[in-house]
Amino acid sequence: MAYLLHQLLSTSASKYPNHTAVWAREQGLSYGELDERSNQLAHLLRRRGIQKGDRVGIYFPKAVESVISMFGVLKAGGVYVPLDPQQPAQRIQYIIDNCAIKALVTTREKLRGLDPAAIATVKFSVFTDRMNGAGTTATGAPWEELAGFPTEGGPEDLQSTTLDLAYILYTSGSTGRPKGVMLSHQNALTFVDWCAKTFQIQAEDRLSNHAPLHFDLSVFDVYNAIEAGATVYMVPDDAMLFPATLAKFIASKGISAWYSVPSALVHLILHGNLKEHNLERMRLLLFAGEIFPVKYLGQIAELLPKVELYNLYGPTETNVCTYYRVDRTKLPSMEKIPIGRACANTEVFAVDEKDQFILPGQTGELYVRGPSVTCGYWADAEKTRKMVLPNRFQPHYEEKMYRTGDLVVLREDGDYDFVGRRDSQIKSRGYRIELGEIEAALLSHPEVKEVAVVAVPDDEVSNRIKAIVATHSGATLTASHLQQHCAQRVPRYMIPELIEFRESLPKTTTGKLDRVLLASER
Amino acid sequence: MEEIKEKVREFVLDAAQRKGLDSVTDEESLTENGVIDSLAIFRLVSFLEDNFGIRIADEEIVNENFRSVNAIETFVADKLSKKGSPVGRGQ
Repeated sequence: MAYLLHQLLSTSASKYPNHTAVWAREQGLSYGELDERSNQLAHLLRRRGIQKGDRVGIYFPKAVESVISMFGVLKAGGVYVPLDPQQPAQRIQYIIDNCAIKALVTTREKLRGLDPAAIATVKFSVFTDRMNGAGTTATGAPWEELAGFPTEGGPEDLQSTTLDLAYILYTSGSTGRPKGVMLSHQNALTFVDWCAKTFQIQAEDRLSNHAPLHFDLSVFDVYNAIEAGATVYMVPDDAMLFPATLAKFIASKGISAWYSVPSALVHLILHGNLKEHNLERMRLLLFAGEIFPVKYLGQIAELLPKVELYNLYGPTETNVCTYYRVDRTKLPSMEKIPIGRACANTEVFAVDEKDQFILPGQTGELYVRGPSVTCGYWADAEKTRKMVLPNRFQPHYEEKMYRTGDLVVLREDGDYDFVGRRDSQIKSRGYRIELGEIEAALLSHPEVKEVAVVAVPDDEVSNRIKAIVATHSGATLTASHLQQHCAQRVPRYMIPELIEFRESLPKTTTGKLDRVLLASER
Repeated sequence: MEEIKEKVREFVLDAAQRKGLDSVTDEESLTENGVIDSLAIFRLVSFLEDNFGIRIADEEIVNENFRSVNAIETFVADKLSKKGSPVGRGQ
């Protein structure tokens, strides 16, 4: 049994060396090639000074090199940090500095977009874009340099254990800064093993990869494909934007397993012209990250009568912790889809305000325990202490549990239903967004006096973002100015679509912003 | 032709500004730079249908027709000429 993620690759590469492992940008990479290139990259990283536990950023648009990089860093004993190529430079720089990234696998173009003074911890970059005549320098290694390193076997004597970190995924932070969720090989494998057993991925399966690599849905796409000797197909840029193109892609590649946020599927149903395509090979549809409106799920179920449908739930801190297999016969009478029950090797329970375990029909906050739970946030002991807690319900030995901040209700049949958040975190298009992070970005503008950011519910994307702003007197701010200001600080999907200016914002009797009132306004 | 382009530019610029960009050229790729996301594309489709009185089918909503202001203008002009309706007087 694998105890390190890259052992999944070694096993599959010896069984299926010529099978395609990754397909991206019209290019296929076999298991043999993936194994060899990642071995070479691992040796290169070690030679250049990457030591066990060092963080290496992966910063370029999805390509076969993305998966080579993930495995290359892991084989070197490093921790990879996927950096979203579509996020503003400021945010990327913050992340690089926050976890002291020592090296980047990137393109020359992406690197040029970063301020060297802001990424002082980066000692060198490996460039995936091929440039004729580009030589090796102290700070830059062209991809061609890989050829000088051994293809058989990765670096040895690392004494790696399953508890070692494999990757760090950064998510929205409520005080304005993204938080780095630390995930070990064990965390990842707990999820991958459960998926392998539950979904029975075979070597003939073709998994799509729709989610960005810094989003944990991609862990299934990549590692479950590799585990089974199957192929992962990275969705091309135009298919990401145009549903008709996406439908064609899914059909022509013969995708058999799809995992994405509900928004992407809803978009596909509404505008993808699915009826025109042969989707016979599709056997598994997984969705997670936000609530799926039942009416749209019903449409998919009808269109694809043989597909197994699963709702998966879990924060980045635990990957998927509960699952619900959709019972088609019950679908027409359902109001909402449950988040289900605990995955294998995971325990979930919910407690009410009196710290009692809830009974059927009652509401409580969901906690998770088990080997999928993160050990915390990088360099943020305070936040870690708040969310990753000693398990007070089990006093015999030290162990941690994670408080999700999600309220759930326990059904008679043992499944849980999602009720809502305890705080101001929302989902929009499946992205986790702390409204506080957007508020902080807006408040940083000198002319903004006060701001409240609220979510406006929406059928297609779960929530739209609205900002209500009070400016200092004499200010001449426009919505467009503020949107530009935000664009430099937060990802595009977090920029408020709607901005309303007011003289002042309503307050409660204790002087705090009356968010309840603001959210209820239309 | 210019009328079509003007209207398209106006919409695209508005969409770009919502994403924090202050200008867009006629030839630059809207889809590569994240100027229009998947939601904005459908708002654009409604805008074009309303303003030019054309019907756009789902299969026509592809990169080739929407990748830049120029591409959109060509696409719309093409549809209008097939339809035979006067430019700029949409229903």
